Amino acid sequence: MRIMVLAETQKALTELCAGASQISPQVEAVIIGDQLKVVADTIWYIPAQEYAMLEDYTESIAALIKQEKPELIIVEPTKRYKLIAGRIAAMLGTTVITDVLELEKDFVAKRMVYGGTAIRTEKVVSGSTIVMVGSGVLQSKSVTEVTVREERPVQFIEPKIRLKRIAREEKERVAVDLPGAKVVVGIGRGIAEQKDLEMIKQLALALKGEIGCTRPIAEAEKWMPKETYLGVSGLIIAPEVYIAIGISGQIQHTVGINRSKLIVSINKEKSAPIFKQSDYGIVGDLYKVLPALIKHFG
Amino acid sequence: MKIITCIKVVPEEQDIVIKADGELSFDRAKPTISAYDLNAVEAGAQLLEECGGDFIALSVGSGGIDNPKLKKNILSRGPESLVMVADDRLKDLDTHQTAKVLKAAIEKVGEYDLILCGEGSSDLYAQQVGPQLGQLLNVPTINSVSKITQSDGKIVVQRTLENEVETLESVLPALVIVTSDINLPRIATMSHVLAAGKKPATVWTLEDIGVLELFNTIEVIDTRAPQQVERKQDIVEGDTDEAIQEFITKLSTVLAK
Ligand SMILES: Cc1cc2nc3c(=O)[nH]c(=O)nc-3n(C[C@H](O)[C@H](O)[C@H](O)COP(=O)(O)OP(=O)(O)OC[C@H]3O[C@@H](n4cnc5c(N)ncnc54)[C@H](O)[C@@H]3O)c2cc1C
Repeated sequence: MRIMVLAETQKALTELCAGASQISPQVEAVIIGDQLKVVADTIWYIPAQEYAMLEDYTESIAALIKQEKPELIIVEPTKRYKLIAGRIAAMLGTTVITDVLELEKDFVAKRMVYGGTAIRTEKVVSGSTIVMVGSGVLQSKSVTEVTVREERPVQFIEPKIRLKRIAREEKERVAVDLPGAKVVVGIGRGIAEQKDLEMIKQLALALKGEIGCTRPIAEAEKWMPKETYLGVSGLIIAPEVYIAIGISGQIQHTVGINRSKLIVSINKEKSAPIFKQSDYGIVGDLYKVLPALIKHFG
Repeated sequence: MKIITCIKVVPEEQDIVIKADGELSFDRAKPTISAYDLNAVEAGAQLLEECGGDFIALSVGSGGIDNPKLKKNILSRGPESLVMVADDRLKDLDTHQTAKVLKAAIEKVGEYDLILCGEGSSDLYAQQVGPQLGQLLNVPTINSVSKITQSDGKIVVQRTLENEVETLESVLPALVIVTSDINLPRIATMSHVLAAGKKPATVWTLEDIGVLELFNTIEVIDTRAPQQVERKQDIVEGDTDEAIQEFITKLSTVLAK
């Protein structure tokens, strides 16, 4: 069985190829230009084009898939590839299963639906299966087991439509490693003012943790970077300890943290749903509780 | 500029009930506008205010979407008219089918400059209808757009990706998929709601748009609530000094591990 891997970052390419090799010995990777290194049985190499965006290779990749007909196509779930994969699917008359949490036998995929209320199990029934799989989903033993057997060139097809890129700016790197953190302090709308983040930083420091937040704190208030909000449309983490401060516990948030080993919450409303999902908690004003915590653990 | 915003009608999430066997019940969940599409509607409303033209809302789904309250809700947020393809054969569409039906409906609507879509639907969130639709229509397609400006027959958009922000220019017609933080959707006032009742709404069937066959690309095997992790729920009540002390003592023991 043939599996084709498409990725934008080196980390994902390595991981997805290694993971794919556990499913089938026939792993093929599509490489554009020279930036990425990979170990796969076959490398489909598309030479880099001047001034081209990744999106400009969509037609070339689609033609390759049409010709080679791999049974499974595994794609890194970046924003660019969400667009590219969707366009390829439309060209092939099929669809894409995005944000796959588990990939089982016969390419049966599981993904979160209804804001995390349910898990849907589904399967593509229209030719090649295209799945977008995040980090940590595919099991892999060792990366070095696969060696490159052949490198084959792919003809670049000039796209019918090219977008014009006027400017490009690297985003400021967010220095936190939330998925890797053992302790995560999560903050929500219970925090009254941006300046109170100082107190949260002190607590995080005392507990050697990182700070995450709910979506409104990142998107509406913009007090925290967008990359740090947790939940169905944000990050999904599983730290040793998650401390929810001033967070009501709506499902869209809790699916991002409910795999934590221990959940602790601080909320002034006894009826806040977060308490039902907590191991420990206190019904109280965070502005009274936090100073005491900082004093004790600091 | 002639703008069409695509809207998915989804069951109100808060009213979805998890049954004892883990299956979901939608009996009490009323149809509502998918949250992410509110941003696409607002983006259309703002462009209309800025440059005039024409602004249509388009939704496809089962017969149930042809609901007076829902139609008013959509029209109160800025669109000047509404087109629906409401047909019971359009229940539980996959993204491929949705894109195909939207394409046929858009072609029946006629000429357009800009199609707007939300980032994904708030129920299934596959984030695939926009990209597939853009390809089917054969127009420039851009996702993750956090700002749109227009000038003489072109648009310039800001696209926010994982590690970079790019500025792209595209000719029209084009399809743009907006982020959930591109704007803050307006709250309709009473007068908007009243005006909405007078705006034109058209409802088509599959035959009206000439879609004769629709095969599915996905087979759904099962949809059920995940097993909940059992939590201790050891909750201290109150924030007196003693209560806080009790909480800290509990925390110290578990955090020390
Ligand atoms: C389609 C969709 C996707 C979404 N995706 C996400 C997502 O990925 N991540 C996410 O987080 N959200 C997401 N949301 C939003 C989500 O539904 C909730 O609205 C959000 O998580 C609530 O954030 P919050 O808990 O900070 O705010 P609120 O719900 O307003 O809760 C604030 C809490 O703080 C408590 N509080 C207030 N003052 C104090 C005080 N002084 N001391 C102690 N407690 C206090 C209150 O009792 C309350 O429980 C999504 C929503 C939709 C519709």
